[in-house]
Amino acid sequence: MWGGAGVDPDDRLDRSEAAQVLRRAAGMARGQRRAAAAAVGFVAMATATALLGPLFVRHGIDSGIRVGDRSALMLAVVGYGGVAAVGFVGSRRQYIYVNRAGEGFLRELRLRLFAHIQRQSLGFFDRNKTGVLVSRMTADIESMSELVQWGLLQFVSAGILISVALVVLMVLSWQLTLVALAVLPIVVLASIRFQRSSNDAYLEVRERVGQNLSTIQEHLAGVRVIQASARTDEQRRRFKVSNRGLFDAHLRTVRVSTWYFGVVELAGVLATALAVLAGGYLVDRQSVSVGTVVAVVLLLASLFEPVQQLSQLYNTLQSATASLRKMFDILDTEPEVDEHHGSVDLGRSGEVVVDSVNFAYPGTESAALSDASLRIASGERIALVGPTGAGKSTLAKLIARLYDPDAGSIAIGGTDLRDARLASLRRRVVVVPQEGFLFNGTIADNLRLARPEASDEELAAALDRIGVRRHFSDLPDGLDTEVRERGSRLSAGERQLVSLARAALVDPTVLVLDEATSNLDPGTEAEVEMALERLMEGRTVVVVAHRLSTVRRADRVVVCDGGRLVEVGTHAELVAIPGGRYAALSAAWEASRPVAHPFSTGG
Amino acid sequence: MAEPTGSIRSLRDTDWSHLLTLLRDRRTGLSIGVALGLAWTLGKIAVPLLTQAAIDRSIEGDSSVFAWAGAIAAAGVVTGSFTAARRHIAFRESRMVETLLRERIHDHVLGLHPGYHDRAQTGQLMSRMSADLNQIQMFVVMIPLTLSHVALIFGVGITLVVLDPWLALVALVPLPFVNVTAKRFSNAIHPAVLAVQSEQAQLSAVVEESIAGVRVVKGFGAERVRMEALSTEADDIQRVSLRAARVRARFLPLMELLPSLGLVGVLGVGGLRVLDGAMTVGELVAFNFFVTLLVWPLRSIGMTVAFGQRAAAALERVHEVLSVNPAIVDPHDPVALANAGPLGRVTLRDVRFGYDEGSTVLAGVDLEIAPGESLALVGSTGSGKSTIARLLLRFYDPDAGSVMLDGIELRQLRVDDVRRAVGIVFEETLLFNDTVAANIAFASPRIDPVADRNAVAQAAALAGAGDFIESLPDGYDTVLGERGYSLSGGQRQRIAIARAVLADPRVLILDDATSAVDPSKEHEIRSAMSTVMEGRTTIVIAHRPGTIAMADRVALLDEGRIADLGTHEELLARNERYRQVLAAGVSATVGGDH
Repeated sequence: MWGGAGVDPDDRLDRSEAAQVLRRAAGMARGQRRAAAAAVGFVAMATATALLGPLFVRHGIDSGIRVGDRSALMLAVVGYGGVAAVGFVGSRRQYIYVNRAGEGFLRELRLRLFAHIQRQSLGFFDRNKTGVLVSRMTADIESMSELVQWGLLQFVSAGILISVALVVLMVLSWQLTLVALAVLPIVVLASIRFQRSSNDAYLEVRERVGQNLSTIQEHLAGVRVIQASARTDEQRRRFKVSNRGLFDAHLRTVRVSTWYFGVVELAGVLATALAVLAGGYLVDRQSVSVGTVVAVVLLLASLFEPVQQLSQLYNTLQSATASLRKMFDILDTEPEVDEHHGSVDLGRSGEVVVDSVNFAYPGTESAALSDASLRIASGERIALVGPTGAGKSTLAKLIARLYDPDAGSIAIGGTDLRDARLASLRRRVVVVPQEGFLFNGTIADNLRLARPEASDEELAAALDRIGVRRHFSDLPDGLDTEVRERGSRLSAGERQLVSLARAALVDPTVLVLDEATSNLDPGTEAEVEMALERLMEGRTVVVVAHRLSTVRRADRVVVCDGGRLVEVGTHAELVAIPGGRYAALSAAWEASRPVAHPFSTGG
Repeated sequence: MAEPTGSIRSLRDTDWSHLLTLLRDRRTGLSIGVALGLAWTLGKIAVPLLTQAAIDRSIEGDSSVFAWAGAIAAAGVVTGSFTAARRHIAFRESRMVETLLRERIHDHVLGLHPGYHDRAQTGQLMSRMSADLNQIQMFVVMIPLTLSHVALIFGVGITLVVLDPWLALVALVPLPFVNVTAKRFSNAIHPAVLAVQSEQAQLSAVVEESIAGVRVVKGFGAERVRMEALSTEADDIQRVSLRAARVRARFLPLMELLPSLGLVGVLGVGGLRVLDGAMTVGELVAFNFFVTLLVWPLRSIGMTVAFGQRAAAALERVHEVLSVNPAIVDPHDPVALANAGPLGRVTLRDVRFGYDEGSTVLAGVDLEIAPGESLALVGSTGSGKSTIARLLLRFYDPDAGSVMLDGIELRQLRVDDVRRAVGIVFEETLLFNDTVAANIAFASPRIDPVADRNAVAQAAALAGAGDFIESLPDGYDTVLGERGYSLSGGQRQRIAIARAVLADPRVLILDDATSAVDPSKEHEIRSAMSTVMEGRTTIVIAHRPGTIAMADRVALLDEGRIADLGTHEELLARNERYRQVLAAGVSATVGGDH
């Protein structure tokens, strides 16, 4: 969460790109049209009333005080008060509607983006780091939240303020206005320069903050290594360099904005001076009233503040546009594994036919599988063995259609997987990964992962089926036990049991297993073994095997090497091949066994 | 990192002492800021006064309008430059406070004993060094401005009273309510904003686990379930965010309305007074100006108070971290390690240790390892093998008994001396975001990764890492770590061994150094290990028989004691428990694929 805050070139967009991105976002926000219209209306109401105030002051002075008309003065007072009250109401509503429109849009964006990410196939997740995807869904959307909450409100109100103020000023006295606005070029030039340099400075701060935080994180994560290496002072010195770099970057942003704020404040006062100057001249010639000069001076003050606000808004808009474009890039990525029209449900048969399959992982050159063919009978147990990178996990993933083959086909029960409805495929073929991955929630929530509608009785039956019901009902909260983040409340073995029960609840025809390489605590190890054995009963099983005991229990063994299926047969058949791969593997395993193994599970 | 900051306490219960100390340390800069703020304030007051004079004396009277306009412009230059200077000082001071505090926390935490880090959560410490410091910075930046605001309010108030006491009363009555409303707003919005942050954090957790667990989601077709979880969180965010908007709607418009009421009063009452001839039009206009001038300062004072409370609370949390005393420190008069003769004798005498009070991991361990000897520590999970390693590094001090290096108790040595004499290769190698060469030279202060490239390369070659390093895109200059090039488990392990080789410690601990390595690659690590073990006291913690057999002797650790001691073959032959432990440790792997 802390690492990926660096600046990448994607954070800078040119004008036409930005416009395109914003148009597209506006199109997506169509659902919020009504709330947005109401928001703009209320913002306009609140803003316009703020502008009307000085007009009543003018009226009071010119038609009331100067001519001695008390009722006109009172009318101005009542009018001013009324306008303030209306503004108050508008202002209250604007916060609500701006929030509804903005947050409604963000919610829509979150749901759409997440749904789209979930539709992606595994290749997408290999290419995109978890941290980056998470920050698309969080930091990037939150950076827009600032825009839709405050930015929109400020943008509309500043826009209205500026334009209405200008119109009113021109109507009051175009001569005075033009003279006063002689300072405008200064403000415009300053704003343009500010936008450019503040954007750069701001991006640098973001990058430095990210770097600094990842240094902190690295130091905290590596504190033992640092201390064991007697490096504490050196790492402190390095942190100081990084920390001071961040300070300097902060100072640069301060310098940029400091300068700008000074100029805008000066320009505002200069405009007043100019208005007074011209006012003196014009009043002398009877072409404007004193009340008009006063109103112009008051309005000028409300003209310069929104200009400042708009300039600051520009940064927010920039980073939001950059975030939006990154999200659109994801939304434009079509999933590689997808369903086509006319997909059919998979049948009950568990026969798996792999036919001349070639496959390379997206973005890689070398083939992970070449010309792999294999026929697995319904209910047969297959163990895949071989060294790292031999292609056994790849074959398992293809059978579960986590990827599509580049050439050749994989069929279950005679149906090509590409023609199968994904929902029915996930019911018929289940992958149980190496380690039991649990989500935050209760054990029951985790069991219901694939079948949210399953009843309590069905859960109990599934647990019974693999013989672990007692284990979980003995917990104080039973199946309602909160497993916490990643299931940290449970032991590794228990997590594996939940993972197996989860599969049992789905009751698939084909089971794809990735066997764990690491060991569990001896207590649960046996229980996991037994549950696994029960789960496999009566199903077609493809297991990526790491233990000889598993291999021996399989009906047939498939030896993978270099992406090819080099040997296929029963354990006995393969051991008998002189100079065979399996024979060698098996011998190597036997040799690494300790002598007089008391718990020999092989056989 | 979103983390509840706790509820806001009342002003009296807030502990301001840390904050005051902090401000005292920055008093020079802050005073300059306040002085600049005051100058700015004067300019700010001058503008409406001058405008009033201009209207009264030149537009309505006869004096030169040029002079007045010029005076206004001059006041503009003054306020403009003081605004700039004031902002600059305020931000510089506040960022400096933040920067220095962050360094203090970082440096302090980095020196705290591993026992502290076992319990501390990284996320919490990160939040001390980011979110909490932000709160403090946001408060400090407001101090000069707030103090000059206070001055402004007094200045304007006095001016108004001097101009016309009765009208002043009308104009000023609503304003204290602005202040009160601002404070109440700030206190009401804070929990609402925290709630939004906490919901965002929950959504982030759902996204994170859905993506980290994507293989499970895909494998079980659980997209729908995860989508529901996400949509719940998205709805929650929307709900709490609307709640925050309601708080804003309740307070912010009110803060705008109150000064308007003052202005309306000024127009009515003031207008009547002008009509009665008690004041001039120019004065009335100036009144208007002044009242508007007060709005923002009053609002910001209210907010500053609330910010101050939050900053004080944040600082209290920071001090909680800073007040932890390091448990492992240098002795008052350290003894120097011998540098001649056979070096690297390790002695444990009746060592007892537990991580928590009441728990026992080591229950009286006696062990003697001769200089140059290698010893394998074998035992089931949790038997205390790694604990012995950590005691030797003096990550912890034993509860009883003594741990000695070359006859000297570790507690009598300087901590850095112990850690230079004892090297370790951890089970999981942590590589830093730096070049390969710098990672290898990490534990060797006298080796410069660039200038002493030969020494680095030699160590890498000894560790069997030379070949793959040469083949990296930038060789020894390839940047590693989380944001750099990623290496396989075996490669990382060899870098770690090279690190230990270069540091040349008299005692080397290999803590499960091969367990993260693909078994088919294990022999490569083993040969690297045997090179570095030669002539050096080495403690090997291992599960796999092949690795265990490399050691001269094996110690079987069981129930917190050394249960047996001898060669691998002797123990295999005579010790049933030894065979059991080995059997449980052997995963009987036929090839590991991940």
